[in-house]
Amino acid sequence: MSGAPALEVDLEVTVGRGGAAFSVEARFTLPSGVLVLFGPSGAGKTVTLRAIAGLIRPTRGSVRLAGEALFDWMRGVDVPPEARRIGYVPQDQALFPHLDVLGNVVFGLPRKERKKPGPLVLALLDELGLSALRGARVDSLSGGERQRVALGRALAAEPRLLLLDEPLSALDRAARLSIGRSLREALARRSLPAVLVTHDAEEAAAFGDVFVRFERGKPARELPREVVLGEKGPCPHCGKP
Amino acid sequence: MESSTSFPILLSLRVAGLALLFVGPIGLAIALLQARRRYALRGLVDALVLLPLVLPPSVVGYVLVVVFGRRGLLGRILEEGLGVRLVFSPAGAALASAVVALPILVKTAQPSIEAVPSQLEDVARTLGLKPWEVVFRVTLPLAWRGVLAALVLGFARAIGEFGATLMLAGNIPGRTNTMPVEIFAAFQEGDDARAGLYVGVLSAISVVVVLVAGLLGPKEGRAPA
Repeated sequence: MSGAPALEVDLEVTVGRGGAAFSVEARFTLPSGVLVLFGPSGAGKTVTLRAIAGLIRPTRGSVRLAGEALFDWMRGVDVPPEARRIGYVPQDQALFPHLDVLGNVVFGLPRKERKKPGPLVLALLDELGLSALRGARVDSLSGGERQRVALGRALAAEPRLLLLDEPLSALDRAARLSIGRSLREALARRSLPAVLVTHDAEEAAAFGDVFVRFERGKPARELPREVVLGEKGPCPHCGKP
Repeated sequence: MESSTSFPILLSLRVAGLALLFVGPIGLAIALLQARRRYALRGLVDALVLLPLVLPPSVVGYVLVVVFGRRGLLGRILEEGLGVRLVFSPAGAALASAVVALPILVKTAQPSIEAVPSQLEDVARTLGLKPWEVVFRVTLPLAWRGVLAALVLGFARAIGEFGATLMLAGNIPGRTNTMPVEIFAAFQEGDDARAGLYVGVLSAISVVVVLVAGLLGPKEGRAPA
């Protein structure tokens, strides 16, 4: 591994037009591990995530992945999303409703591997507990299963970074624990850096190595764990308040 | 005369098919563009697409003759460059049909494309798909009902085109006498049997089309929001 940090972000993104327009400013660095974007909804966390993926064009700034510039306003660099190799799991999972579970997971693979899933795909299905569901329609899945499929679909394409938007917030407690464990193991096994969006302090504490606090109308900055999560924040070791 | 009874039917099917082959891809491309991109001239393109629906067919026909006629700019290029003459030809009839089919094609396909959550297309991009691959692997597979309905309605509009066709392609028996043109000619000659035959055939085609389009129309089977 090179000495460059996994992810360096220094962005200003403007969304909307006219009176409805608002700007998000964010600057942070992730050496390795999981970076948590923490704050209330409407503060620009998802916008920042989409800008890292290349789905929104920032008004200025830069995004660097392991030292490589994916976006650099000064130098006119803007790598399209399909060439960034950044996995994206949006809040509603956005599973492809016209495909079954396997079809979703192999979606980003070359045609040959889509036709006949190889050992890597089978191992991934196994890892995420999806083997028995491979032929299932995605609209028949539970919330936790949907999250696993979305995670598998992103991981199968072998991303260099994973973006997760509120991955656990819609789940019940049991699913939250089991998906949370799968997610942590999946990231650790691949040494895959990730950016996780959440408004939940417990979730933030359980996953985060680096914390960025978002507040409406304020630039988002890296802050120490205690400051971001607040004094009432949960214990970093046990996850309990 | 008897042997030519079926000619207008077959000609109309061929002309409408050719028109659809030509305007189908263009119409779908415009529908995709209008559904997914916000650009400066979007409103103008919207208005231009609707024009053939709003203008009298005689105006559409006149414009086509001016542009594609033997002295028109594009007409001259086509005739001298490719040896294609549109005036008084079945190809001219197909062009007129294509132009009038464009609005209904775009306006039927566009809402079904807009109904595909753009989040799905975004995820597909992050999975390594280029924009045109996203169209074929996400957008069209999810919008197929509306797209098919658009093509069917476009075909119906094309096969029924009369005014602009008459002005550009004329009424040459055995060459450009499509069913609508033939009905008008038979009516003028007082040949009710001949007019009635083609009226019946066109009506039957239209009934089938409307039924099929209804079956394909807005309905469950769409992607969840």
